[in-house]
Amino acid sequence: MTIMMPASDQAVLARRDEIVAALRGIVPGEGVIDSAAEMVPYESDGLMAYRQPPMVVVLPDTTEQVSNVLKYCFEQGIKVVPRGSGTSLSGGALPLADGVLLGLGKFKRIREIDFDNRAVVTEPGVTNLAISQAVAHAGFYYAPDPSSQIACSIGGNVAENSGGVHCLKYGMTTNNVLGCEIVLITGEILRIGGKSAETSGYDLMGIITGSEGLLGVITEVTVRILQKPETARALMVGFAQVEAAGECVARIIGAGIIPGGMEMMDKPAIHAAEAFVHAGYPLDVEALLIIELDGPGVEVDELISRVEAIAQGCGSTTLQISTSEVERNLFWAGRKAAFPAVGRISPDYLCMDGTIPRGALPQALARIRGLSEKYGLRVANVFHAGDGNLHPLILYDANQPGEMDKAEAFGADILRVCVELGGVLTGEHGVGVEKRDLMPEMFSEIDLNQQQRLKCAFDAQGLLNPGKVFPTLHRCAELGRVHVHGGNLAFPDIPRF
Amino acid sequence: MCTAAIWRFLTFPGFKQARVDTLKIRDAADVEQAVRTAIASEQPLEIIGHGSKRLIGQPMATNALLDLSALNAVVAYEPNELIITVQAGAPLADVLSLIDSKNQQFAFEPINTSALLGTPDIGTIGGMIGAGLAGPRRIRAGGARDHLLGAHAVSGFGDSFKAGGKVVKNVTGYDLCKLLAGSWGTLAVMTEVTMKVMPRPESERTLVLRGLDDVTANRAMTVALGSPFDVSGAAHLPASAFRAGIGGLGDMGAQALTLLRLEGITASAAHRAASLMTLLAPFGAAEILQDAASAALWSSVRDVKPFAADGALGAWPVWRIVCPPATGGALGQALSRDTGGDVVYDWGGGLIWAALPPKPDAQAALVRARVNAAGGHATLIRAPEHIRRNIDVFHPQQEGLAKLSERVRHGFDPKNILNRGRMIRGAAT
Repeated sequence: MTIMMPASDQAVLARRDEIVAALRGIVPGEGVIDSAAEMVPYESDGLMAYRQPPMVVVLPDTTEQVSNVLKYCFEQGIKVVPRGSGTSLSGGALPLADGVLLGLGKFKRIREIDFDNRAVVTEPGVTNLAISQAVAHAGFYYAPDPSSQIACSIGGNVAENSGGVHCLKYGMTTNNVLGCEIVLITGEILRIGGKSAETSGYDLMGIITGSEGLLGVITEVTVRILQKPETARALMVGFAQVEAAGECVARIIGAGIIPGGMEMMDKPAIHAAEAFVHAGYPLDVEALLIIELDGPGVEVDELISRVEAIAQGCGSTTLQISTSEVERNLFWAGRKAAFPAVGRISPDYLCMDGTIPRGALPQALARIRGLSEKYGLRVANVFHAGDGNLHPLILYDANQPGEMDKAEAFGADILRVCVELGGVLTGEHGVGVEKRDLMPEMFSEIDLNQQQRLKCAFDAQGLLNPGKVFPTLHRCAELGRVHVHGGNLAFPDIPRF
Repeated sequence: MCTAAIWRFLTFPGFKQARVDTLKIRDAADVEQAVRTAIASEQPLEIIGHGSKRLIGQPMATNALLDLSALNAVVAYEPNELIITVQAGAPLADVLSLIDSKNQQFAFEPINTSALLGTPDIGTIGGMIGAGLAGPRRIRAGGARDHLLGAHAVSGFGDSFKAGGKVVKNVTGYDLCKLLAGSWGTLAVMTEVTMKVMPRPESERTLVLRGLDDVTANRAMTVALGSPFDVSGAAHLPASAFRAGIGGLGDMGAQALTLLRLEGITASAAHRAASLMTLLAPFGAAEILQDAASAALWSSVRDVKPFAADGALGAWPVWRIVCPPATGGALGQALSRDTGGDVVYDWGGGLIWAALPPKPDAQAALVRARVNAAGGHATLIRAPEHIRRNIDVFHPQQEGLAKLSERVRHGFDPKNILNRGRMIRGAAT
């Protein structure tokens, strides 16, 4: 682990037995886990290179228990790390040695399905996919579809503002959540929003979404559901140059077409995926686009032919159009299996997640190739081309001394390139611990201080998920100080009317 | 320019009633300087662009206007990236016509409040975001908060900060843009914003059902919005909406109208309109309006033309009620019955505009009780100043939430310099 976490509070660690006993008083039975062996599954999340056993694991199953656990920790000055299904790719649920790991896995019930208001009220431990499955019989679904949707929880989706391949057209989690019940570190239970399209007052739902477990613990979520499109078809288009594929993406958007999904893979990714799932991907192309159009059949047919013409105009070398669901799913199979496919050709890989302006794609890929040579590590690129979200997979072998450090340095350089090209550090995986120390690449100290003041409004003691997102933690009293510049001001020459 | 005089004036906040000074800033650095000086003298500032929405909110106690209208440049417009970056004082009308020239739009259909408020101007981009008032397409495309990707702003600490980014997909750090949208200038002074733009649909069709009562219309809209036909507007205008004789609606007759909009490529919009017509047959035979006729109707709905300031109900207070969509019909019907007021519905019933006969409290107690029972919230969007002074313009929040919101505001503007008291009654003093 190359990232420093906040120093452990020895006084808290010395009181571990007493703390465990107090937590057992709040959450009875097997809801408190303190044996080293049983805590192993909670040592890491989807960012498995980082591991840390927590002080104790607590698995409450009511909001009241969550509230009492937090209240106790607040009063005792004990750190808390919330966790959903533990699929975070940025280490958002990485435990702390002196912290309580608060798992929401027992919150597994969908509380209400309201088709008339097109809303589902659910507990946070319900998986993303389970929501869609619960409403599928009426033709509805929940739109955001992160690739971990079989396992990831809706509470975690809200914490991370998860995306997926369809978010260009249907938005991320933040665009599909209507309300929540949240417990603050003080134990206070608040309800924000509901089945209405907008909340009253400041958009607190908007900042809680994507706050990576630093502001509160979500105990209920209300999401909006949509009717499934009548039909979907996909094109699979190969290009001899990455530039041509990038141009094709730009022209499709420029023509006013917003596909349901638009994915790109580079040659190493294509080869790895094809070897794994035999989707029929062309192996002699430098870039492959999978473009899905959804909607009524008449619309999809029309848009398919428009996209086909655009692709040919950009010099596509191969082009296939799905004629059946089986074929459409086959096109996607390789893309969806891209990560495990890369896992087969390398002992380890690091999955990065930056966003760039779409137009900067050829530049970004050239820079990544250069870095690949510099570090002597292979890279395969998978790309949500429609919204500029890049997932370079850096291949390395953790058993080779120093190779993991090299891979991490390579990854950090890629994210720096993203920022330099006008993009951002993370498109959908979150900052967590993984990109924490890169935040100053994108934000000034003033920017980060303003974000931390928001944290102070929710958790002034900094007990919730410390060590994530912010490279430097400031005391709230210090952040709240207003520097009065009066007395010695250079009066500006501002026109007066 | 006698600049020193401004600042000397600002340092004497007791000097209130006599004059209002306008600080017309030239660049973002001016904003920082002005806010810092205001902090030093504890002088609240009212932030304005074109002043088109100054009549909305609790009356503010300030005698200094921070005028951003000179910050009006388009910084970058990249149609293929689906983004536009503009300074906050850029005229909305100009920006709309610029993106329209590339067949793009703000998908959330920002409201033009000029008819409703009787003001001459549609306002600026900054005002559009600060107010966050979205039109009919909100049900499909989201609100202003869903289309603000990034911003530069000056906080009440007098510091210029950046929020978000310039790409459509970004989860780096807290999403401060969500807070800025709809904060009515109470958190920070935006100086530059990056917005998401979307392609303008090639064509549109509107299904028109006539003569439905509010509750039945609400059901018809619920059926339509629960269909796979991708309805992008669902509004209901009771017969009373036509008494004001407003343009765009004048020739539609005197019967209640239920409107359902379908947009997209021509073949698709036509196909879905036909399918929806079949689905809604139990609610009566529908007619279909195309493109220009359809668009005119929706701009009247978006801008709440039935309650225009120069119309028959121009003197009535107007409430904007947001509620769970399927409850809207019953709520609106009860409100109009019990107050003798008029209502129109948008967002499939999830948005109710209510013009109520004048009363000293704009019938706030009755409105809020009904709206609370339905799980919604109500904002008094139009009323004379003396009424706005004495009631809560924005919906009162549950105590814990109100305290949290105040802590959030304090984290941006601890001295309460920016638009002091616009959202909270009593905070202006």
